[in-house]
Amino acid sequence: MNDSKNTLAKGVTVSSKFGIKETIIDFLKRAMDKKIFDAILIPIKVPAGDSFVYVLLNEKSLFKDAMPLPPIMSVQGAKAISSITRLGKGNLKIAAVMRPCEIRATNELAKLKQVDLENITLISMDCPGVLPTSYFLKDPEKMTMRFNEAAERQDDSIMRPVCQICDKSSMVAGDLHIGTLGAKKDTFFIISNSQKGDDVIHKLEMRLEDNINSWHESVKKYSQEKHIKRKKNLKSLKSKVGGLDNLIDTFSQCINCHNCMKACPICYCRLCYFDSDKVKHPSEEYLEMAEDKGTLRFLPDTILFHVGRMMHMSVSCVSCGSCEDACPMSIPVAQIFSMVADETQDLFGYVSGRDVNEPIPLTVYKEDEFHEVED
Amino acid sequence: MTRALRLNKGIEQGVLDLLKFLLDSGKVKGVFTLNKINSNGDVSYSIITRSSDLDSAVPFFPLMPANAGKLLSRFTLKGGTKEPIVAVVKPCELRAFVELIKREQGSLENIFFISLTCGGVYPLKTEVDGTIKEDIPKYWDAVSKGEILGDLRPACRGCTEFKPHTADITFDVIGSKDLDKQSIAFLNTEKGEELAKGMKGEFLEKELDSKKLNEFKIKRESEKKKLFDELNIKMNGMDGLIDIFGKCIGCHGCMRVCPICYCKLCEFESPDAEYKPSTFETELKKRGGVRIPPGIIYYQLGRLTHIGISCVGCGACDDVCPMDIPVSTIFKKVGESVQKLFDYVPGRDVEEKIPLVTFEKEEFKDVEE
Repeated sequence: MNDSKNTLAKGVTVSSKFGIKETIIDFLKRAMDKKIFDAILIPIKVPAGDSFVYVLLNEKSLFKDAMPLPPIMSVQGAKAISSITRLGKGNLKIAAVMRPCEIRATNELAKLKQVDLENITLISMDCPGVLPTSYFLKDPEKMTMRFNEAAERQDDSIMRPVCQICDKSSMVAGDLHIGTLGAKKDTFFIISNSQKGDDVIHKLEMRLEDNINSWHESVKKYSQEKHIKRKKNLKSLKSKVGGLDNLIDTFSQCINCHNCMKACPICYCRLCYFDSDKVKHPSEEYLEMAEDKGTLRFLPDTILFHVGRMMHMSVSCVSCGSCEDACPMSIPVAQIFSMVADETQDLFGYVSGRDVNEPIPLTVYKEDEFHEVED
Repeated sequence: MTRALRLNKGIEQGVLDLLKFLLDSGKVKGVFTLNKINSNGDVSYSIITRSSDLDSAVPFFPLMPANAGKLLSRFTLKGGTKEPIVAVVKPCELRAFVELIKREQGSLENIFFISLTCGGVYPLKTEVDGTIKEDIPKYWDAVSKGEILGDLRPACRGCTEFKPHTADITFDVIGSKDLDKQSIAFLNTEKGEELAKGMKGEFLEKELDSKKLNEFKIKRESEKKKLFDELNIKMNGMDGLIDIFGKCIGCHGCMRVCPICYCKLCEFESPDAEYKPSTFETELKKRGGVRIPPGIIYYQLGRLTHIGISCVGCGACDDVCPMDIPVSTIFKKVGESVQKLFDYVPGRDVEEKIPLVTFEKEEFKDVEE
């Protein structure tokens, strides 16, 4: 659930009389003034007002359209960080403000060497979920209001289906975390989770204390409720999609656009195996397959693609829901992948992205595991 | 005059009977067609080799789950089929395949084409919500009256290339009465005549009614103008582009479903589209803020440059855009203006060279100084 490795994290209580968003932005500006950060990566509303995108900025006036917790996740933040650091760390010290699942995906990409975190400080927030993009696009302004109201009263019923069953919405996996749960009125917590985080706090002349128990307790209670809901929902999903026949039915409308793969923060391959020559066959072979069965569905390899992708990335899946949002056929991809990911990760006692130093299970060898599969 | 075949069956059954005849008589080894693949009635392209399996085929179903041109390219990319195949496709799918052939991405060898004067298709979301099933009778009614339904794909509502250019057999449906009782297939080529030979039905000498098709074209022209006008207000300059494409998430779904985009590795997914940290630093100094990942407009304009000349306006890109960007309308507008410059209709004729690969000494004098 929300248990990050560092459960004893300390924090600072901050007054948010002028609004949480304003206080966070003020915090970032002060850190820029003190040269702790040279630039900030943060979601900004686009000029047409119909989306929020990541912008790397050092010009403070651009903060006017910034939204630390936007109603949608248009591009998964880990992809944004990978975009700026895939070819190596830069000279700039950057703070990235994103959701916990985006930071977890960033950690996974760091392990996969698609991200260099040396000069990046990751700042997350207690996350109320995000709206499905299609829902938001119906009326961006109205939906933003609706999102803010729902977030306020911890109502996840209008959020992405995987957000409704997310039990890691307050997981501290980056360097700093903004905690709003369990905070007194007009305050929030800034929680440090690393040396980098501690340094920021100290340079801003704030003091870390052990006074964030109320946050810990609220998070524990909230995530336990969500955990139960998650188990229940995924179990019922399994009864609907488990087995080959159900699987074929579930993906019967898939059009092989691979939007899910492109939107997935973990799928980083430049050329996906399932777009490569390996899966393209001479016409005789297709015809033979058709003759064997009488009929060959042509889009070929739909199930192979999904099951293959699952094998490639499920151990790192962070259940962000980006895949499902990008699916033009409204297939519950994220829920299915979450269901499998929970099981593959459980096998190894692994939680994707929880800790950037925890190696991905398939890259380490342990002599004493899986005795049950030995002969 | 063209040879034609009148079948005493409605359009949906008529084409199915013809396909069965082709398979049963051994004239073809397989049928490439839309097919209901499960009890839900989900529709996908399939290759059918067993005659009895054709019972679930829905060759003229008004849906394009994927552009068939792209699929036929996949089928023949590693060499043409040695066994004869008949493919039932929509005119824009056929044109897309021809464009891919020009790019050496497939082979026409041993593939026969059946198409129709096309009334358009519904957006994919109608399959997702299941409404398409109820819409089918309404669809054929509108087609037979030569009307344009408002809930079709925008690309289809404004499509003026509804008559196939290179089909061996063309079913005449737009503005044709009694589509539920009879159907007429025009046998445009020798291959087409050869295929139909022996089929039960009445053979005639006939011409496609150009008057009714022209009337229909005028309706489509005016729909197209409407689509372009709606867009035009925002089309001016960089700000306009940012307004339209600002919400693009860079999933490249449009590229992936585009029948013309065949590159194994798109330029915009290659190392060329990745930047060193120093580039971001320089841009930041200049502008104070950089969108991450960068290159949204660059991608869209780049793709326009790459495929505009061959865009067949099928609308597949629209349907997969998770951000509801009217990609196809933009690509069609730009595509058509480029195509007009060269008097080029993509996919009209496989022998017609793509303008950008040919050199004509006497053109574009006006751009010389």
